[in-house]
Amino acid sequence: MNLTELENGQKAVIVKIEGDRRYLSRITSIGLNVGCKVEMLQNVKKKPLLIYGRDTMIALNKEESNRIQVEVTTA
Amino acid sequence: MTENRTIALLGQPNSGKSSIFNSLTGMHQHVGNWPGKTVEKKEGTFVHNDVTYTIADLPGSYALSANSDEEIVTRDYIVKEDVDMVCILADASQLERSLYMLADFAGLKTPAMLVLTMGDVAKVKGKVVDTKALSAKLGIEVCEVIAFDKKTFEPFYAAVENTIKNGSCLQADALYSYFTSSDIASEYAAALAMAEKMEDGRYTKEWIAAKILEEDELIVRRVKIKELGDIPSSEKTTLAVSDARFTWIGKLLEGCVENEKKPSELLTKFDKRAIAPGSGTAISIVMMIVALLGSMLVAIPFMGLGGATPSILNPVVDAICNGLGVSAEIAHFIKATLVTSLGWVISMVGFIFGMSFVFGILEEVGYMARVSYVFDRSMSKIGLQGKAIMPMIMGFGCTMGSTAGSKVIDSYGQRILTIAVAWAIPCGATFVVIPTLANAFFGGGGGMLVMLFIFLIMFLHVLVTAKIFGRKLNPVENRTGIIMELPPYHKPRWGFIFKNSLMRMWDVFKKAFSIEVIVCIIFFFLSYSSAGIESSILYKIGTAIEPVSRFFGMGWETFMSFFAAMISKEAVLGVLSAIFANSGSIVDSTTGLAATSDNVAQIVAASISKAEALAFIIAVTFNIPCLQAVVSTYNETHSAKWTAKIGGYYILTALILSAVVYHVAALFM
Repeated sequence: MNLTELENGQKAVIVKIEGDRRYLSRITSIGLNVGCKVEMLQNVKKKPLLIYGRDTMIALNKEESNRIQVEVTTA
Repeated sequence: MTENRTIALLGQPNSGKSSIFNSLTGMHQHVGNWPGKTVEKKEGTFVHNDVTYTIADLPGSYALSANSDEEIVTRDYIVKEDVDMVCILADASQLERSLYMLADFAGLKTPAMLVLTMGDVAKVKGKVVDTKALSAKLGIEVCEVIAFDKKTFEPFYAAVENTIKNGSCLQADALYSYFTSSDIASEYAAALAMAEKMEDGRYTKEWIAAKILEEDELIVRRVKIKELGDIPSSEKTTLAVSDARFTWIGKLLEGCVENEKKPSELLTKFDKRAIAPGSGTAISIVMMIVALLGSMLVAIPFMGLGGATPSILNPVVDAICNGLGVSAEIAHFIKATLVTSLGWVISMVGFIFGMSFVFGILEEVGYMARVSYVFDRSMSKIGLQGKAIMPMIMGFGCTMGSTAGSKVIDSYGQRILTIAVAWAIPCGATFVVIPTLANAFFGGGGGMLVMLFIFLIMFLHVLVTAKIFGRKLNPVENRTGIIMELPPYHKPRWGFIFKNSLMRMWDVFKKAFSIEVIVCIIFFFLSYSSAGIESSILYKIGTAIEPVSRFFGMGWETFMSFFAAMISKEAVLGVLSAIFANSGSIVDSTTGLAATSDNVAQIVAASISKAEALAFIIAVTFNIPCLQAVVSTYNETHSAKWTAKIGGYYILTALILSAVVYHVAALFM
C-alpha cells in the first residue's frame, strides 16, 4: 500500500520508492530506502506526514510520499 | 614560523556542526558569500600546539549530492579544494542514518576523521558507541565530543593531529564489495570502466562509479563531455547505491553500538500537542508571543541605555568642546552624528542579542523544526520555510528583530527572501506614529479603518514581495516539498547560547556603528541649514522635485518627512513638527535632539489634504523601515547588493502605493 495510507501508529517496511533522480537522492540520503522500517506518527489532513525511521522523526510532504510503497508489518 | 593547516567540516543538518565550529573558533570567524552563489561562506581559525588551523564550516547537507546551491558548494569544496583533512560529523544518537554522509564520502582520497556528536542524547537513549572498534574498521581516527563544551575537545585535537600526521584515509573496500555482489553488478562494472578514464587526484574510480550509478548531475555532465557513452544508470541503480551504503553502515555498526534500552515512547507528551493540527498552531502562537516578549525583555536594558546615551554623552561632548574652545556648531555635529549613532547602535545590538538568545534557545531545544512542520503548508505556498513565520511575526515588534531572527532559516537564499518579506510587516514604531496621524485626519473610526487598510496592504505586499524576490532567491523549479528531520528535544545550553549571542552582538556592533555614523553625517549635511529649513540641500531638492513627488501624492513637506522616515520611523512626527510647526531643525528632529510639538498631528491636519495624508501614511508604513533595519539586513546577508536591492524595491513600491492611494483617494476625498 501507499505510505500516505498508513494510519497513526501503524508500522511498515518500505518496499518500493519511485521518482526522479533528485527525489530518490533526497529521500535516501535522509535515511529512507527500500527495506527501511518506519512507523507512522501522524497522518492528518493538510499537514505533512510525520514518520519515524532509523531513530529519526521525519516530516514528509504528502504529494511526493505517494511514490513510496510500504507493506504493513504486524507488531 | 607557525604551521598552517586547513580543515573542512562536513556534516548533516542538526549534527552540531555549527556548535563545534563556534566552540573551536570563537571570535575568529569570517562570514561571507561563496562567489557567484547565494550561499553563506563561514570560515574561522583556531590555534592548537602552535599550529594555526583554518576551518571551513560547509553548508549542511545529507549527502554529497548536488541538488541545491548549498549542496553544490559543499560537494565542490570537498572534491576540489585542497584541504589537509575533512572532519565528518555524525550524530551518535542516530548513528545509522547520520553515517550516510561518511558512506558517501568513502572513496575520496582526502585524509578524514569521524567526529561523533550528541553523545549525551545517545546515552539517554541507551546507546553506547565503541569508537575504538569503529576506528579500527574504518582506518581513520574516530572521536567523540560534546559540541558546545570545549573541555571535551582534547580527543578531537589529538585526532586532528594524528590524521594530518598519518594522512589516514577512509577504508571503504567493503562498501564496493556490496556493489559487485548485488544485482547491479553489471551496471557497476560498466560504470567502473567509464570511471577509470575520469579518475584523478582526489577521487577514486569507485567513488565516481557510484556517482554515475546515482545519475549525479555533475558527474554525468563530465561523462557526456568526455563522450564515454551512455550511462548505465536508472531508478534501480540509484536506489541500489543507497542500499549498499546502508548495508555497509549496518555491518560497520555491528558490534560497535550497544542498545541498552528499549526505545521509550517515541512522541513525548509535549510533542504530541506541538505537532497536532489545532494545538500545534496554538502552541506556536504562544511561543511566538513568548519569544517576542522574551527578546524584548532581554533588549530593554540595552534600549534604555541606547535611549539614554544622548542625555548621558551630550553634556560631556558639550563640556569637552567648550573646554577645547571648539565651536558649538561642531559640538552639535558630533551630537547629531556620533552620539546619535552610538545610541541607535546600542539599542540595535540589544535587539540582536535578545533575538539571538531567544531564537537560539528555541532552535537548540529543537522546537523551531516543529514550527516548520506546523506552518509548512501555508508558508510553502509563498516559497518560504515553515519556520519563516517566526522571524516574520517578530517584525511586528521590530524589523531588526525579524532580520536577526532570520538566522534560523538554514538556506541562505531563503533567509534573504524571509528578510525581504519581513520588511513589509509594519513594526512597533508604525503603531505609535500612524494612529496619531490617522486619528488627526480621519477621527477615531476613520483611524481604525486606516489601520485595517494597512493590514490589508501588508498581506498583499507579503504575497507580491515573496513572488518577486522568490523568483531569484528560491526559484519555483527548485522548490521541493518538505523532507525534513525533526530533531529530538535537547536541554538548552544557556551558557553556550549566551556566549554566542554576545559574540554576535559585538560583531554587529563593530560593523553597524561605522555605517550608521556615515549615514548620519550624510543626512546631517543634506539637511543642514544655518537658518530655518529653506537653506538646506534637502529643502532645495525637495522643492525642486515637488512636481514629481506631487505625482506620487506628496508635497515637498511630506516628501521630506518620507525621506527622513527611512532613517528613523519614530522621527516622522518630529520631522513633520519641524516643518509645519517650526519646532527645530530636521536633523535635530530626526535624531531626537529636538522636541516634537504636542499638537503636531493637528497642525499637519490643517495644512494638507486628506488624500495626501492617506498617501503619506501608506508610503511611510511600507517604505524602508529605518536605517537600523537596513544595517541589520546588511549584517545578516553580508551582501551590499541584496541590501540595496531590497532597499530600492521598498522605496519604489512605497512610491507606487502612495501614487495609487493618492489618485484613487483624491476622487472621493
